[in-house]
Amino acid sequence: MFVPQAFISMYLPAVYAGLIVGFIGTMAIAINRRELHILILTDIVGLAMIFVVSAVGTDLAEALILPGLVVELAETLAISEILITREMRKIEQDPRANLTKSSSIFPQAFSLDMEIMTTAPNFIALVLIGYGIFLTGFTGGAVAGGGIVLYALSKKARGLPVLMLDGIAGVSGISWCLWIIGFLLFFVTPQYWLLSLFLAACGLLLKVASKVGLIGLLMREDIDNE
Amino acid sequence: MDFVTLGGNLLGTIQLGDIVLYLTPFSLFLFAVLLGFTVLIGLSKPETQVEATMHYLNNTEVKVGPKELKQRRFLAVICGIASAGAMITGDLFNFTLFMALVGILNIGIVSAVKQTSVLNSAFNYGLIAMMCSLPLFGGAAIILAATGTLSLAVLSQMPASPMVVFGAVMMLIGILGESGVAPFFASKAEMFRTAGSPYIVIIHLSSLFIIVRAVEILLLVLW
Repeated sequence: MFVPQAFISMYLPAVYAGLIVGFIGTMAIAINRRELHILILTDIVGLAMIFVVSAVGTDLAEALILPGLVVELAETLAISEILITREMRKIEQDPRANLTKSSSIFPQAFSLDMEIMTTAPNFIALVLIGYGIFLTGFTGGAVAGGGIVLYALSKKARGLPVLMLDGIAGVSGISWCLWIIGFLLFFVTPQYWLLSLFLAACGLLLKVASKVGLIGLLMREDIDNE
Repeated sequence: MDFVTLGGNLLGTIQLGDIVLYLTPFSLFLFAVLLGFTVLIGLSKPETQVEATMHYLNNTEVKVGPKELKQRRFLAVICGIASAGAMITGDLFNFTLFMALVGILNIGIVSAVKQTSVLNSAFNYGLIAMMCSLPLFGGAAIILAATGTLSLAVLSQMPASPMVVFGAVMMLIGILGESGVAPFFASKAEMFRTAGSPYIVIIHLSSLFIIVRAVEILLLVLW
């Protein structure tokens, strides 16, 4: 036998875990009444599906997880698109409910009375971003994203306008493409592994760093709801 | 149950690696009807709804704009092809994937309409479809784990163990939710109430055909 007994006996616990997670997710959906939250909670049920599929644990199951994930993602995108269209129609019918045109990272009033916010932030942000680019990859993205957050925080604390991040989705898409191209090159031409590694690393850097903008957008959504 | 018993004489098989497409009069008929209907949808023009106005004598027209029409026709044709694929496939997981694709496309077809009630209904249907992907894919995976194969030709020869029955029941729940029939139909009922009829009708037709095919597949797996 190639598979140890310990892994075979994990199948049933994994399936139970998936079903229990799915049950908890559906209970949460039943309790919650806000649509954005329901949409996010349905994703938990989708993840439970990945649990159950991956519990099979063979390489065939691995080939099934990927389409499952893609289907999940596509469904989430389609439903959120529906939600956005519906909100747009509602705004068309009642223009006073319009959202603000621009999207700032920190939409709410915000005061941080710290010395460091007025003296050193630009330099520290620059160092962080530079160091993040030097690191590349996931860690680098996190460091560079931290630098961007610090820069925005300090500007907000001084009462200056925060930079607009409306194009952040575009950056995110480009980084995704870089990552995919890197991945493809890795399989097609393994001799250029360094190039593909750097493509993937830079894509990941941009991707993680640009998550900051998305957090800002989500905050705005929540505040407009209240 | 043998697929010869359910679908009539075996006309031939198409071997694609370990996936075997088997052609019976039953599956070929469903496949041909759906493809024919897809062609009809691709060629036809959408209808225009006329809404009567209360207390007055004039009527209002509900039209579909040219841009929305193109998008809708594209999605409707893809939806037809996906459900035709679900009719002919000989692989359990491919069936679930086609099923999920049909669900997504159904949402996509109505995603740009102007009526808020239709969008509300599509949102609810989407949530149900997403939650039902757990029993749908999970059931298929449990059947795979219990038998070691996804090929319907092999599955139909195997005796059903309790785990297979459990997986099949889960798949049934998933199919019901994903196609929006019986216990879940309330979420999907309002989705058809908009202009652009032939494209809207594919939403209904695809789920009907898929239910017919799903019954065959579940019988194949269980007996």
